[in-house]
Amino acid sequence: MAHSRASWRGQGGAQAFLYLLPSLLFLAIFTYWPMLRAIAMSLLEWNLSRPEPVFAGLRNYATLLADPVFHLVLRNTAMLAAVAIPISIALGLVLAILLNEPLGFLRGVYRAAVFYPTMIPMAAAAMLWVWLFNPSIGLVNYYLGKLGLPRVEWLYDMTWALPAVMISWIWKNVGYLTILYLAGLQAVPTELLEAASVEGAGFWQRVRYVTLPFLGPTTVFVVVVSLINSFQVFDAVHIMTQGGPADRSNVLVYFLYQQAFRFWDIGVASALTAFFVAGLLVFVVFVVGQMERGVFYEV
Amino acid sequence: MHLALGSASLIMLVPYLWALTASVKSRAEIFTPTPQWWPRAWQWSNYVDVFRYAPFEIYFLNTLIVVLGILAVQLITITLAGFAFARLQFRYREALFYLFLIQMMLPIHAVIVPNYLTIKSLGLLNTQLAMMLPFWASGYGTFLMRQAFRQIPAELEEAALLDGCTGLRLLWSIMIPQVRPVLLAFSLISVVTHWNDFLWPLIVTDTPRVRTLTIGLAMFVQQESGADWTLLMAATVMVTAPLLVAFLFLQRRFVESFMYAGLR
Repeated sequence: MAHSRASWRGQGGAQAFLYLLPSLLFLAIFTYWPMLRAIAMSLLEWNLSRPEPVFAGLRNYATLLADPVFHLVLRNTAMLAAVAIPISIALGLVLAILLNEPLGFLRGVYRAAVFYPTMIPMAAAAMLWVWLFNPSIGLVNYYLGKLGLPRVEWLYDMTWALPAVMISWIWKNVGYLTILYLAGLQAVPTELLEAASVEGAGFWQRVRYVTLPFLGPTTVFVVVVSLINSFQVFDAVHIMTQGGPADRSNVLVYFLYQQAFRFWDIGVASALTAFFVAGLLVFVVFVVGQMERGVFYEV
Repeated sequence: MHLALGSASLIMLVPYLWALTASVKSRAEIFTPTPQWWPRAWQWSNYVDVFRYAPFEIYFLNTLIVVLGILAVQLITITLAGFAFARLQFRYREALFYLFLIQMMLPIHAVIVPNYLTIKSLGLLNTQLAMMLPFWASGYGTFLMRQAFRQIPAELEEAALLDGCTGLRLLWSIMIPQVRPVLLAFSLISVVTHWNDFLWPLIVTDTPRVRTLTIGLAMFVQQESGADWTLLMAATVMVTAPLLVAFLFLQRRFVESFMYAGLR
């Protein structure tokens, strides 16, 4: 045993290098190099009026910081994360706990109904919601009217455009979070639940005192995944509102797309990229720290 | 319990069902003041009409090529890298693994601008290759495969080594059969993820010839500018149908894969 281990340890370096090479090649070209290049490009003035890039120092960053739209975009992105994530986590958790109960053949039906939006492209899901949110013939306004609530212009409304995007996002993501929690629930020992029942604990007491304490690691994971997803919202905004009205539903990646591919300002777009990457890296270092501490034992 | 789950399921289903009925309605029936769940006359011709305005059959084919092209290369790169991280000893192993993790956490959305310029200078704009290249290495897939290879008992490997089975042959005939369920789980997730890709294909294409379904749908929406809801909903249903049908038939597989390997 010791002999065979030692024998491949010797050649391990060369072999490992060959095995990692294909991945490292693509990672280098499409992940590491672009990160560095974005930082370099962020120091250039490079846009429609100056097609040949010249050094501009930190001017792009200054432009960005002085842009009120950028502040609005950051606020919208933070708002989306702060409102949509807790709601989808709460819904996902409750649905998972319910779906984990013995339900007979209907469990498969419920599970499919909750999970199927995960299979739908966000672009298509956004289309479904554009149709539902139609101010004059949309289903949402029809039922609001039936409940005696005021009708809303939704995607054309300064206040309601962003919530409309959030609703479509929650609808699309909640099934996925439910499945993650269902996976987490498998870690709860059934003996403990049975013991609690014997002791006379009701359904909600069992959930509160037995199930929830076991879901800590899953919740950390779910929050991380949701945050990363929420920073990347693009498809829904592109289809539903184009960031409007008056940038009230504009978010980070959509703003980046506008700077680069609508206004062709590569310098400012690169400054934005550098800012985005730096933020994510700080976040990643934090998450990796959590991983080291073993929170991710299962995944 | 059934009441709560039943109403939740209903709320989740309504958006899609409402699109389904709209997709087979006549244009006049869309504008009734009270919503009609059951179309009076089923107009299946809406689905045919969609093809007259946009080449969805080409979009479908392109999507298939891109999704399978990404998956085929990914399976090779993540198996090799995952195996190396799990079973080989080499210097800087931990540090290199963190480099892979960075890609797992850093979404491609963050670096679209430099990547676009790279693709442009390679002369690859408007190709299917451009839509696949950035995904050919997967930090996440590598992470999954590393976990899977780690769980193979050392005795199995040692027995194979004693028989003189080493290198790629060891990987192919002894190790890969052990991790097949994980490869399948990753494959399903990869297919769903890239079937649904939007921003990257949007940026690197501008002709219908190479476009995928999601981009085709977005273009169709712009071109119709929301005028004809029956056609828009028929197109939306068509774009979603292939994966939803697969999901209906393989529900357990999909759910288990996402349970096992939740992150994309």
